[in-house]
Amino acid sequence: MTTTTIRHHPSEATLLAYAAGTLPAALALVAATHLARCPVCRDMVAAAEAIGGTLLDSLSPAEMEVDVAAVDQVLERAGLPPAAPAPVLHPDLAPPLNRVRMGRWWPIGRGVRWRPLHVGGRAWAGLLLAQPGRSIPSHGHAGLELTCLLSGGFRDGGEEYAAGDVAEPVGEHDTPPVAIGAEPCLCVVGFEGMRFHGWLGLAQRLGRW
Amino acid sequence: MNRPPAASDAADHAALILAIAQRQDRAAFATLFAYFAPRVKAWMLRAGVPPTGAEELAQETLLMVWRKAKLFDPARAGASTWIFAIARNLRLDVLRRERHPSELLAEEAADEDAETAPAADHAFDQREREVRIRAALATLPVEQATVIRKAFFEDKAHGDIEKELGIPLGTVKSRMRLAMNRLRAALGDVV
Repeated sequence: MTTTTIRHHPSEATLLAYAAGTLPAALALVAATHLARCPVCRDMVAAAEAIGGTLLDSLSPAEMEVDVAAVDQVLERAGLPPAAPAPVLHPDLAPPLNRVRMGRWWPIGRGVRWRPLHVGGRAWAGLLLAQPGRSIPSHGHAGLELTCLLSGGFRDGGEEYAAGDVAEPVGEHDTPPVAIGAEPCLCVVGFEGMRFHGWLGLAQRLGRW
Repeated sequence: MNRPPAASDAADHAALILAIAQRQDRAAFATLFAYFAPRVKAWMLRAGVPPTGAEELAQETLLMVWRKAKLFDPARAGASTWIFAIARNLRLDVLRRERHPSELLAEEAADEDAETAPAADHAFDQREREVRIRAALATLPVEQATVIRKAFFEDKAHGDIEKELGIPLGTVKSRMRLAMNRLRAALGDVV
């Protein structure tokens, strides 16, 4: 887990939504990919979860249907084993992506490939692989979008992004992000309500997510 | 008969979870259940879960506390914070069939340092952390407290809060940033 070069972090709003459980699963997965590498943001999430604990503490208790003095009957159901941990499916990928089910790679233009992640929920996520010099497909945002770089680099809006960095754009990209450096750019992208143009838009409409 | 539960019992709550972990202490579970189940249910009701579902989620959350007690590390989180995260993940699982990725990261960490025993020395820091956060929350400006409460209580991400409050997304995000910075400043060296 390298921490040295991270310069771009998710917004406090995104980390708060992650801690509150309101961030759609696809975006939360991208945030978690960053968190696995970034102790600064892990601290922020821990603080936000402590807000959740404090607020839980402060609530007026609701009336329970079960008799809270007779919890033995509740504990009768405790024998059920907790869900088995998700197996490591992709040892070559950074956590938590190594345990996520995903589809096959799809070419979505020259030097750009897309691999959908199976995360469920109302937003989408996938891996995007762009050869050096290739641009990430142009798109507009109708909702939240989060990208975490896994390897390589890209330039977007005058800023350069390296492994571990998170891009959290607002509104339309004026110019599409471009893969820079000598090695291919691999990132995980999560988004809600984004509409791709061109090839990726076609793949999106064909349901190859 | 149970002691009457009070909010100042944070340290005791951590000790009760450890008692379950160490010797499957049913009396400890009964005390935790009496305190937390009605609060988890209240939280679910505020988030718009129907009463039957809220009751089930509250009971299931506490059952998960029983099953996962061995994983509780008082050096990492206070009892309320730990139980909050369990309830949050369970709600996503049951209502949205989504898995909170913190569980995937926890499994990764468990694989890596399966031998590391929890250190109880930091338990005080975590209790102090919850105390300071409670105090700081109480002094937040109203508009900052509102976005925080909506995020936690109404199951709304910042995009939904933008629509509901009719204020620009940038404003929602800057209020959250200001609030988080104040809370982090309040935590100071206990972070």
